[in-house]
Amino acid sequence: MALKPKARRDLQNKVAIKLENVSTYYSGETKPAIRDVSLEIRVGDLVLISGPNGSGKTTLLETILGLLKPREGEVLLLGHSIPREASLVRKQCSYLPQDFMKPAGEPFSVKEVVAMGLSSIRPLGKLNQNDWEAVYEVLDIFGIRNLADRPFGRLSGGQQQKVMLARALVRKPSVLFLDEPFSALDKESRAYLSREILPDLVKKGITVLLVSHDVAYRPPDCNKIIYMKDGVVVRVEE
Amino acid sequence: MLRLLITATVAGALAGSLCGCTGVLCDRLGLRTVAFAVAHGALAGAALSFLVGVNSIVLGMIFALFTALILGPLADTFDIPIDMVSMTLFSLYNALTFIFLILSPGIVLAAEKVSQVLWGSVLAVTLDYLIILSTIAVLYALFLVILWHRIAPILFDRRLAEAEGINVRAYTYVLIALTGLVVVFTLRITGGFLVFSLIYIPASSALQLSENMKRIVALSAVLGLISAVSGVYFSFFADLPVGSSIVICAAVILLVASVAGYFRRRSLMKIVS
Repeated sequence: MALKPKARRDLQNKVAIKLENVSTYYSGETKPAIRDVSLEIRVGDLVLISGPNGSGKTTLLETILGLLKPREGEVLLLGHSIPREASLVRKQCSYLPQDFMKPAGEPFSVKEVVAMGLSSIRPLGKLNQNDWEAVYEVLDIFGIRNLADRPFGRLSGGQQQKVMLARALVRKPSVLFLDEPFSALDKESRAYLSREILPDLVKKGITVLLVSHDVAYRPPDCNKIIYMKDGVVVRVEE
Repeated sequence: MLRLLITATVAGALAGSLCGCTGVLCDRLGLRTVAFAVAHGALAGAALSFLVGVNSIVLGMIFALFTALILGPLADTFDIPIDMVSMTLFSLYNALTFIFLILSPGIVLAAEKVSQVLWGSVLAVTLDYLIILSTIAVLYALFLVILWHRIAPILFDRRLAEAEGINVRAYTYVLIALTGLVVVFTLRITGGFLVFSLIYIPASSALQLSENMKRIVALSAVLGLISAVSGVYFSFFADLPVGSSIVICAAVILLVASVAGYFRRRSLMKIVS
């Protein structure tokens, strides 16, 4: 259900993500993958992180999620210090990774893969009838209900990406991290995600961080664009 | 004789099914070499027992369990792939085993106990052993059934599971420890040199026959059970070592499963096209 405009404005005054002078290094590297990054993202913002390959966009996402440990600086996600309190806050987040593709023979069906999104937020991972209905609803959003019983590895790249997007959405997250969500989608699906799904998420007050290497791309309703190059934030457009 | 055969059959069935499950999970989690390190830890422990004059089975188990418990934390602490740590320990244990045996008094290589550790023996199967093996099987089954919905996302994609809030590290450590227990207690039947076969051959066979993870785990357990039990009977009637007989039976099953898998994939391709 979409939020009323006032409720949405109130939410947007709250800070969802805050980074102060954050630098992250990969193991054994002397040069940081991201350097001295400071940012503030409000609840309900749709933020585009743009930049060429190797500019540190994925590293930035994974640092915010606590999958990578920053060597310097402080990261706050929904008020929790990351990575120390990452386990407390990850259940409110969804992540679509860049490298989602699985080979033929991957032994999980489409509906199982989507349902896995709910496993971490249910006691002992057990799903109830409502959860399964939610799984089918989100498959409907992407028009892939007919693939529910197909092995994930036997789908095309675009179909696999839709399944992973469905998995991210079924969790009804507070913060959604999308790393190159259009990379395998056809033109029609890309437009649908950009013009229908993303604005709907913003209306619901969900904070979205979207990474794209396509510097010409601008999602509708985008509040902030962060340009990165060589691990540094070079420009922020509000 | 009949009692020995029944005991060996039950032990083989339990060990085979446990190894079958373990093989699939290790394969999916990229822990393929963990079993090597654990089994050779047991060998080094047994070899040391001859040098210091204590029970070889107990010391072997202590070494193996210690290895299973330290592998995960060692890999994480020093940021080294777990396969590298496993193979380093595997080589170290081989060296230690050789040194301990050389330093042991008398000609120990011919001793029955060393032979048991290296090649396994149904004579080593006692009622206590069956009770321990049954307990591990029940614990393993409970772990998989109760926590399957948390384990499956890890088997699909560890990093994504971690990003979604699953404690991947804890589950992986538990699975490594369970692998250690399974290897240690299967050593008595198959021996240190052949235990990997019972872990990985049924898993390979199951992967030929299904594309459903739950079915693959169950199939691997059943094929491990069939391999072990048929191997025990084959060894009895052909008067051959048990471990070797089990491996031969598992390999025959893999051959049949591979042919069946080939035709299954061909029929699937026809349906798709």
